[in-house]
Amino acid sequence: MDFRDAMLDNYKEILKTYISDQTEQALYLSEKFSRKLLECKVSPEEMISLHKTSVMELEPDLPESLLLSLDILLEVMMAYGLAYREHQSLRTIQRELINEIEVAASMQQTLLGTKIPSLSFLDIGAISVPAKQMSGDYYHFVSHENGAISVAIADIIGKGIPAALCMSMIKYSMDSMPDDSQAPGDVLERLNRVVEQNVDPTMFITMFSGLYYPENHTFHYSSAGHEPGFFYNGEKGTFEELKAKGLLLGVDKKAKYNEYERKVEVGDAILLMSDGVTECRTEDGFLEVDTLIGYIEKYIELGAQDIADKVYKELEYLQDFQLRDDFTLIILKRMA
Amino acid sequence: MMDSSVKIINEWDIVAARQLGRNVAKELGFGTVDQARITTAISELARNIYLYAGQGEITIEKIENEAKKGIIIISRDAGPGISDLRKVMEDGFSTSGGLGAGLPGVKRLMDEFSIESDPRKGTLIQSVKWLR
Amino acid sequence: MNISIDIREQELQTIITLAGEIDAYTAPKLRETAFPYTEKQHANVVMDLSGVSYMDSTGLGVFVGLFKSLNANEGTLKLVGLSDRLKRLFDITGLADIMNINTVAEGGVE
Repeated sequence: MDFRDAMLDNYKEILKTYISDQTEQALYLSEKFSRKLLECKVSPEEMISLHKTSVMELEPDLPESLLLSLDILLEVMMAYGLAYREHQSLRTIQRELINEIEVAASMQQTLLGTKIPSLSFLDIGAISVPAKQMSGDYYHFVSHENGAISVAIADIIGKGIPAALCMSMIKYSMDSMPDDSQAPGDVLERLNRVVEQNVDPTMFITMFSGLYYPENHTFHYSSAGHEPGFFYNGEKGTFEELKAKGLLLGVDKKAKYNEYERKVEVGDAILLMSDGVTECRTEDGFLEVDTLIGYIEKYIELGAQDIADKVYKELEYLQDFQLRDDFTLIILKRMA
Repeated sequence: MMDSSVKIINEWDIVAARQLGRNVAKELGFGTVDQARITTAISELARNIYLYAGQGEITIEKIENEAKKGIIIISRDAGPGISDLRKVMEDGFSTSGGLGAGLPGVKRLMDEFSIESDPRKGTLIQSVKWLR
Repeated sequence: MNISIDIREQELQTIITLAGEIDAYTAPKLRETAFPYTEKQHANVVMDLSGVSYMDSTGLGVFVGLFKSLNANEGTLKLVGLSDRLKRLFDITGLADIMNINTVAEGGVE
């Protein structure tokens, strides 16, 4: 009971000072005392009991009624004491959760890491920024043995940890896909079956899958409900939506995905994005497609990675640096 | 000799259970803060019976082992039982409203706590506070 | 960031009128409120979205969930009063091809 005695002496001293000459100094000391109480996890009911003991020792002639009133105060403070103790334990749990999420987020970064292929004929840039710690966006490149390059971009509907877990599943299904089934439509059909079977019915994935053939410079692509990308015609300086029809992954296991094809000339570019790009919200409403194209156009002469970085900077500024959705932008630019 | 059990049927029986608990705690020599904790725990258990089981019983006894003396609160009901014990023992879960309330609160106020629940037989909670 | 959900149960259909924003914050509320109506056998649910000013992909997920639940219980889902922006969202995702979607508000159908 040493601790209680020390606290009691300390508190009595403060009370005595204040009762004799009501100084701010005494009030300040009591503020410091209250911090100490919290530090030592002293509950409100203990404090009231401490107060009662102190006043009884300092002022033995206090009326009985005043002392009795402190019993009521003590009883009333019980609920506060309970709430305080619960708060303490919830804080510990919260700290543990935050730590776990941080570990998970860095694991996700490692797991989902993809290498951007470095090629003489195709300049590739990519940027992906999560709105929260864990991203629901995903992109992936594969260089196939025959020289073709696969690119995939996916957006898990839903954010945070559930989306991240779902994405790991996608990533492993993609990794385990045989090298001979590269056709974008096949990739989506296969993933659709995986998602349909394994994912919670309220969770869905949009995905764009593309394949670049270097021998004839054609880009084949299919979309599963994904935000359409853009095709930049370098000669004419025009942008055009990469239209593709296809249902979200995970809704209907029999869904089929059409494959589309595009010839890519030197100077042309392909821009792929997640809906965080086109659903950007600004003060005056939504980002219009024209505004977005304006930004891309402004930087189109730069290297692919620079374009991605610069466009992101502009959009970030436009949204006051508050990302509401995960953001991913991929740029493929034919160089030779 | 005082009757050591209180039947809980309506809200006023909670007061009777508290009174019984306070008397026993006082006799044992618990200080005012511990008395308040013991009676708050009794309130919580009795209120659970009243709200969720309809009726039941709170028993309060002195206990003693080689080294120490204490008080035990036993709450017994034949209500619907608790299907997910882990959940009701979780902080922040309480359905009866309010921060810190519920069984985790009782556990914190007392020194020992045990619970058994069976959907067919009801719930038995025993909780001890030792005199220091 | 808020949503209002108004539900009118009629003899043959349940009309759910939504207003406000459907995003990650409001989607759970929408899901919880609307889901029970999709779990009855042969339920016909009409959702009027003419008051919806914003919807993100989380909101879309809710509608797919409701659609699947209704399909499983042999019910129907009809979405009416979609703005151009919302219509585009259903078009892009391919949902417009499998769902009953109408840009005209509720009074305009049936």
